[in-house]
Amino acid sequence: MKRARVFAGPIAATAVAFVVAGVWLALLGADPLRALGALVGGAFGDSLALETTAVRAGPLLLVGLGVALSFRCGIWNIGGEGQVAVGALAATAVATRVAAGAPGLVALPLALLAGTVAGALWAGIAGVLKVGRGVSEVLSTILLNFIAALLVAWAVHGPLQEASGAYPQSDALPAAARLALLPDLHLAHSGLVLAVLLPLAIWALLFRTAAGLRLRAVGASPEAARYAAVSPELETVRVLLLSGALAGLAGAIEVCGVTGRLFENLAAGTGFTAIAVALLARLHPLGVLPSALVFAALAAGSGAMQRSAAVPSVAVQVIEALVIFFSVGFALPRRESA
Amino acid sequence: MPLVALRDLHKRFGATQALRGASLELEPGSIHALLGENGAGKTTLVRALYGQVAPDSGEIAVDGKPVAIASPRQALALGIALVHQHSMLVPALSVAENVVLGERGSAFLPRARLHAEAAAVLGRHGVAVEPGALAESLAVGEMQRVEIARALARGARVLVLDEPTAVLAPSEVSALLQLLVELRARGMSIVLISHKLEEITAVCDRVTVLRAGETVASRPLAGLDAAQLGRLMVGDALPPPGRPPETEPGPVALRLAGLRAEGLAGIELELVALAGIDGNGQRPLEEVLAGVRPLDAGRVELLRPPLALLSADRQRTGLVLDLSVAENLVLPEAAHGGMPPVFHGGALRSAELARAADEAIARFAIRAAPDDPVRTLSGGNQQKLCVARALRARPGVLVAVNPTRGLDVGATAAVRDELRAQARAGTAVLVVSTELDEVLELGQRIAVLFRGVLLELPAGERSREAIGRRMLGAAAA
Repeated sequence: MKRARVFAGPIAATAVAFVVAGVWLALLGADPLRALGALVGGAFGDSLALETTAVRAGPLLLVGLGVALSFRCGIWNIGGEGQVAVGALAATAVATRVAAGAPGLVALPLALLAGTVAGALWAGIAGVLKVGRGVSEVLSTILLNFIAALLVAWAVHGPLQEASGAYPQSDALPAAARLALLPDLHLAHSGLVLAVLLPLAIWALLFRTAAGLRLRAVGASPEAARYAAVSPELETVRVLLLSGALAGLAGAIEVCGVTGRLFENLAAGTGFTAIAVALLARLHPLGVLPSALVFAALAAGSGAMQRSAAVPSVAVQVIEALVIFFSVGFALPRRESA
Repeated sequence: MPLVALRDLHKRFGATQALRGASLELEPGSIHALLGENGAGKTTLVRALYGQVAPDSGEIAVDGKPVAIASPRQALALGIALVHQHSMLVPALSVAENVVLGERGSAFLPRARLHAEAAAVLGRHGVAVEPGALAESLAVGEMQRVEIARALARGARVLVLDEPTAVLAPSEVSALLQLLVELRARGMSIVLISHKLEEITAVCDRVTVLRAGETVASRPLAGLDAAQLGRLMVGDALPPPGRPPETEPGPVALRLAGLRAEGLAGIELELVALAGIDGNGQRPLEEVLAGVRPLDAGRVELLRPPLALLSADRQRTGLVLDLSVAENLVLPEAAHGGMPPVFHGGALRSAELARAADEAIARFAIRAAPDDPVRTLSGGNQQKLCVARALRARPGVLVAVNPTRGLDVGATAAVRDELRAQARAGTAVLVVSTELDEVLELGQRIAVLFRGVLLELPAGERSREAIGRRMLGAAAA
């Protein structure tokens, strides 16, 4: 009963978003059923479509988990975008420069670790600024997004640019630093296994450890937490480090598992869509998995919708926006008065 | 004929009867003191006059004509203004902008004219504040005087000040009182809520005393002394309160030596029950003991650790309302990596958590399930949970601040019984309370916290009157 209610909000939000989108498509003169059918077919219709959706869901899930964690702690980390970028940058630097000749057992873990640490430190800057100087993390994380994007641009035009110097992109990662594809699949890489396991780990952290209880207490009432000997400042820095680590890992996996090299605007928009993923999931780690699939399916199916229903793919952005809009209305936990 | 008359007002908030026959008559050109214990209904009464509270019954008359005041706007139209204890100025606007804010036709005023107008208003009422200064840069007393000038500029004839001096430094207090006297000389009528006896006797003409929502006295101030006012305020016809636990005092468990912090002016303490009106240092003392307020000087010597605290504000600082009963119970144990038995190496052991919650719920008769969010519990059950949590630490010193505020009779008795039981079991209990009966019932030794210092009650003087006199700042006679 209680469980059912938890799911009702997000499902209702998604359903209403699609109904409103259908009406809007009809007003544009398109056949809404055909368009939505094409969208679903493009996302789930065949094995390749499914793989595309899964690959797109991966980073949304990781970054979404980080966002959910930080929001749970009352910290508005809007910097997933930048944390993904520095994660990808650090992983590329390690894979193509530092550990260029290393065997797979060394190069791949090193690259993933570098991305994770870089993301954590990038978000940690916002944590230190907040605790030390009282700078709002909303501002600092947004501004750090721009700096991260410029860092990547500088890297691919400068120190990390490919040896041929033809394009502003890095060398291809050596095979030793690439995530292997899952057996018998064409797109889905082994990093996705991690993406499925991490929600469980984060769930356990939140609800089955002292650290998780402290984090949730600080998010719900920093003052009461302080009276209970929990330091809101310490938890703030910790949750930003963890949140940034997840986003940085997502960036590293994207480079090592999907693109194979670094370039500008890699995985652009992931950090922002991940906020919608976390909100639709009601900030619950286990809800992030289905929620990430919804947004990944919208992205994966948009091409098919454009081809077979003659609806511009930007229409998908409208649907995404509607899902976000209604998820705020339906899916945010309602404060019950005592 | 009184300028303003409030007659026989009644007002109920949920289970609390805030006013039960409160009356006040304000003569033109006078300063009228409104006196009463915490919760006696003073603020409710003046909020009814200012249109912020709708009385259930009773009559309000202005200039002899009955009026219905449904909003502050209507009150202002009748010439009645309320100056709140905390500034209602917009901090980021200048003094001049604040003065004209909300007036008709004040949009697009050139700055020079704005400042000239504001300076004229402030000057007319003897408020020496730079019109261009930002409101947030003013001292608290200056903000109050600006608010008074603003009210007068809008044609106020009646000024109501709700404990204006509680937040002021002594020099600011005298400036405010002087301004009030000048305003009276110009025909203004003023209602002054204050707990400070010397302020009342210095400037007021009449006094109305509220007790439990009822006007128990309204008379000229001349001829009343501190003892009489104290007795009027706390009453002497009530049945004697229950008796404190009879135990032999043990060795000193907590010693506060010369505490100085913002709001505390030198506290020496070796375990007593504390009385005192809100705003006299209870909150700073609690925060010092909770470790969330830095000390300027002095030290807290905890001779029998650990110290557990029952916070005065259980909904804000005592409990995390969105967490469950069980989670709140063990939250302090989750600090610093987690303490056994509920936490083990940082991991939460669900079975131990369930056992702890079931034990607490059974022992303290908390009507809730372990997984219920604390938000859904009644105040009494929330407080029992706070007690359960405080005692889990097996404290050597237990500090309880207003432990029964807002609780019904049954929950009050349960909490007080538990505090007595703890004292009998050898825990040093410090009760800080604004309720006199609670202090008399629980405290073996009693002291009054007044403006950040302690006035200890001699052993032979355990009475409401003796406490009431010290709460008003009268030195031990």
